[in-house]
Amino acid sequence: MSLVEDVRDRFTGRLTPATVHSKVFWKAVESLARSPLNRPQWKADRVSLTYFIKSTREAYLGRGPVVWCNLLVPSELVIGMDCIPFYPEMAAAVVASAGLAPRFIDRATEVGFSQDACSYHRCMLGCAVDGFMPRPDLLLAVNYPCDSAPLSFSYVSDLYGAPEMVLDVPLPGREEGNALLAAELEEAARVLSGFSGYNDSRMRKGLAEAIELSNQTLAYLHEIEELRKRDDCTLDGKDAMGGISVLSGSMGSRAGKDYYRLLCEELKQRGCAGEDAIRLMWMHLKPWYSQGLFDTLERYGARLVCEEYTHSCWEPMDPRDPFTSLAAKVGGHFLVGPVERRASYLASLAEEYRLEGAIHFNHWGCRQSCGGAQLVKQALQEKGIPTLILDGDCVDEREYQEGQISTRLEAFLESLR
Amino acid sequence: MHEDNAVAWFCTYTPLEILDASGLTPVRHFGDPGSLESADSFLHPAICPYVRACLAAAIAGGGPHHAVFVNSCDGMRRLYDAWSDRFRDDFVYLVDLPRNPGAGSERLLAREYKRLMRELSHSWGREITTGGLLEASHAREERRLDYLRACEGIYGAARLRLAMEAHTRPPGDVLPEASEGGGNHGAPVLLTGNLLNPAGLVSSLDRAGASVAWIDLCNGDRAFASPTLPRGDDVDGLLASLARSYLDRHPCARMSEPERRYDLLVERVRSEEARGVIYASLKFCDSYLYDFPRVQKRLQEEGIPLLRLESDYSDGHVGQLLTRVEAFLEML
Repeated sequence: MSLVEDVRDRFTGRLTPATVHSKVFWKAVESLARSPLNRPQWKADRVSLTYFIKSTREAYLGRGPVVWCNLLVPSELVIGMDCIPFYPEMAAAVVASAGLAPRFIDRATEVGFSQDACSYHRCMLGCAVDGFMPRPDLLLAVNYPCDSAPLSFSYVSDLYGAPEMVLDVPLPGREEGNALLAAELEEAARVLSGFSGYNDSRMRKGLAEAIELSNQTLAYLHEIEELRKRDDCTLDGKDAMGGISVLSGSMGSRAGKDYYRLLCEELKQRGCAGEDAIRLMWMHLKPWYSQGLFDTLERYGARLVCEEYTHSCWEPMDPRDPFTSLAAKVGGHFLVGPVERRASYLASLAEEYRLEGAIHFNHWGCRQSCGGAQLVKQALQEKGIPTLILDGDCVDEREYQEGQISTRLEAFLESLR
Repeated sequence: MHEDNAVAWFCTYTPLEILDASGLTPVRHFGDPGSLESADSFLHPAICPYVRACLAAAIAGGGPHHAVFVNSCDGMRRLYDAWSDRFRDDFVYLVDLPRNPGAGSERLLAREYKRLMRELSHSWGREITTGGLLEASHAREERRLDYLRACEGIYGAARLRLAMEAHTRPPGDVLPEASEGGGNHGAPVLLTGNLLNPAGLVSSLDRAGASVAWIDLCNGDRAFASPTLPRGDDVDGLLASLARSYLDRHPCARMSEPERRYDLLVERVRSEEARGVIYASLKFCDSYLYDFPRVQKRLQEEGIPLLRLESDYSDGHVGQLLTRVEAFLEML
């Protein structure tokens, strides 16, 4: 039995806002995480689990300034300022994996949010409306990869009476674009340092430390990526995809570095997994509540050797020049700007990883990923990579037609044999 | 070097003054609401139907294929993606647009305008002068004032059609006489949302007996609500002023500062003596999907009745809405 299943069995139906804001609840979660019941797939998973439980507990118990962030907010900025980063999109994935998303999605609908909006955000909004989220001191959103975060954060800002900052990332290739974004990041850092009581020199020291750690983490991540390019690497995307929370939420922390260091070591130790698997890439994210698709992949001898969202896409940063460096990291992300950047980035991954096929999971309501899927498919097919687009929903299990999706996936895998 | 001068535009944050000053003919694209499905092989069906209608019409050969887009929302960005892939030999350009007000955003936007000018000059070989930009800006302001004069006493679908004419016709053209003034015998209401098809949902409001006195849509009155006339002694000064004006205009739900937008909405309800608000938006427009609960809350606080409707742009279902609209109007 997995940890989330155990938490679900113990708490579902009895969860109240007071429960998740209580020390007893978090003590129980921590003890479950440590118990023999929790058998993570990789040693590194225990590190990330411990880190996220601790960080989330601190957020819920209000033990520091809580900063809600969307996917592209660099956690180095928040961690370096000794604030608690909270990524509600990731929280929605956890809620979905615990089978609790429908309740909160329905709550968001009752409040007036349309069923045509992204279910990550509806789930998060439902949780917030019912008091199940940690109270933010600041909502910090980057205007990419999608419009949903700045818009839903605006609602939450009003709900909690907390300020919202939106970082406007200029389009790629603009003169002074990096300098403008660096100025915005500095402004955000000054707000955060106000929460922490940091003066200018402490702010710069905090950021430098976080960026140093982030760079060391990135070096391990690069090593892992090289290992995954080999035929015999044992790390499969169904496990690696959970690493999105590590990549977005723990860069700049010691735990982030330890996670990738341990993962790297274990990958080297585990060695060969057989060389005859069909090498695939997964684009966008997975349905968090079901493993069905991955069972099908395994049955057909396919392995996800690379995933769109858990791959590094930035250069090591200069700790002495934090804002310019962080601006380059954020502004250089392939999800910023027109889809051609995303498409050409994914096509380059296809070459590097010697892919035999790719799967794009079209999450309902995601204008960013669904909207660009056809052009991504076209770019991959120009490289000779067969690409399957699967329509579904990452968070709302009621919108997931397992039989239909599996049939399409099976036909695709047959064609790759 | 391109020879044809017509350039399609889509979002009301497009700096038309610059296109005019370049000697181009900007034409607002409204797409073909009746053939959305033909865009399905390029854009997912859960993308803004206006966006899909524009692409569908362009693929079928309608409207100019040179196009200037604004990076205002995911839908517009996706339309730019598909358009630039499909029409590779045409001038297809994306202008950035910050969400926030303030000096940094003004600077970014002014630089965007300058970059657009350079690209236009490169593609058409025409330089923009201070005098040319001022003249074009005055002509646009005249058009705005013309529209505001012409729409007096015009309601509903007729008013929306007039606004769309004012968008599409070159600034020097005389606006046509508005067709029948729509429903102006019923309860005065204010229509707010993103962009609607005058032949669809808005006509059904007329049929139900509403007097839609102000159309807070991006293809309606909102686009003419704020002046964008720049001031300055040289091109750089004018562009800085133009950027400030565009960021300061009556905002759409995509922009930051929602409270300012709600204040403007409530002020307009009061000034038009509207007895209720109809919130109608196109499906899959995130800016308006996420905005509704806060609008609802604010209008409740103000004691202003509200009805929410949804449009798929083709609006084949509008007959079904009549009963709801009639019931709402009776309640007013």
